[in-house]
Amino acid sequence: MTDASLRPPAPAHSEADWFQEKLPRAIRPHRSHPLRTLTAVTLVVALASLLGISSAYLVIEREQPLDAVSIGPWQAYPRAGTADADPYSVAIYTRGAVIPLASGEGLALVAREDSAGHLLDPTCIYRIYGQTPSARLWTMTAVDGHGRLVETLPGRVHLASQNLLRNPDGSFDVTAATKPQSGNWLPLAASASASDGLRFVLRLYDAPVTTGAALDGVSMPTIERKGCP
Amino acid sequence: MTLSPRFNLTVGILATLCLAAIIHILVVLSIPHNVQHSAFDNIAKHGPDRQFNLLPDVEPGHEVLPDLDPAMKHAACRFELADGPVLFDASIPVSFWSIGLFNSAGEAVYSLNNRTAGAESLSMLVLTTEQLSILRENPPENLEDLIVIETEEISGFALLRAFVPHPSKAGTVDNALMAANCGTIG
Repeated sequence: MTDASLRPPAPAHSEADWFQEKLPRAIRPHRSHPLRTLTAVTLVVALASLLGISSAYLVIEREQPLDAVSIGPWQAYPRAGTADADPYSVAIYTRGAVIPLASGEGLALVAREDSAGHLLDPTCIYRIYGQTPSARLWTMTAVDGHGRLVETLPGRVHLASQNLLRNPDGSFDVTAATKPQSGNWLPLAASASASDGLRFVLRLYDAPVTTGAALDGVSMPTIERKGCP
Repeated sequence: MTLSPRFNLTVGILATLCLAAIIHILVVLSIPHNVQHSAFDNIAKHGPDRQFNLLPDVEPGHEVLPDLDPAMKHAACRFELADGPVLFDASIPVSFWSIGLFNSAGEAVYSLNNRTAGAESLSMLVLTTEQLSILRENPPENLEDLIVIETEEISGFALLRAFVPHPSKAGTVDNALMAANCGTIG
């Protein structure tokens, strides 16, 4: 033990030096700057509004309800447009004034990508083949990236299951292209650029699979890209 | 209190993120209350309430309502249950038709198709619980044959979809949809 450790410590904060800088920073007397505080609060509020509004806009504008049921490239939203829908679906559907296909009528499935995971492109040629879940009637429609119908060469924009050529085993083979094709031809936009986007909408009418749980394990058609210009 | 600049920055970022999350939720929740053209409003443009109004064909460039099937023809009817029960009556000679009942917010309340209807023609009565108890005191003769749907939704609309198997059938389907009834009972 040295002498220094035995000696009582010098008073750190005596009355005479309370204003000196020896105080810990957290309890040091502080004079606020009203302008600086105002700037900081304004900055926080402005940044937060920007972030909050833009993130909401992006989610709604994408037009993809959150609770999707995916089967390969196909997505269905069985709960959207009902009383059990999540707030994002409600916002998307009411903003677009969309009347959903109710569960007693059928189920709509949307594909935005092909089976390999590439975004659909209206200038390409696609082969859609396989089986659909059992349904009394189904229709397949090609729409643009915003879900709108587009002008095609023959004026027809859809295929219906009743007028389809089928393979002996009941499966089907559809070619989606701008130019006429042999077999089942689903016409795509007559004049489209890749940025217009493309979606295939498959509507199953009077199908037993209108609830989400029943969609597990059903076979859906494969979408294969055949070629692009 | 003077804290380290790093602590101030962290608090600032946290405050921004929390506030951003609150604003995000408020924006998403407020959209349904601030839409200018709901499906319920859009249908009013096609004709008077309480009758089926044939919607124009779904074609590229003139889609009256988004997301309708171009293979179908549609007719819509707006109603207010405050004006009395609504009786739907339709007979459409095609292989598939369906009807969906929606409330004014566009949520599906009830739906059926021509197979689940159990008959060639549709006859469906939509009313509130009170109206049903009044009706039961003096039931009409054909009440047994009707599909009776009790709902708490006061205003809403029905959308009737009919499949057009071939363009040559379009006229028949149009006539059947225009003959469909969305009127009062008795």
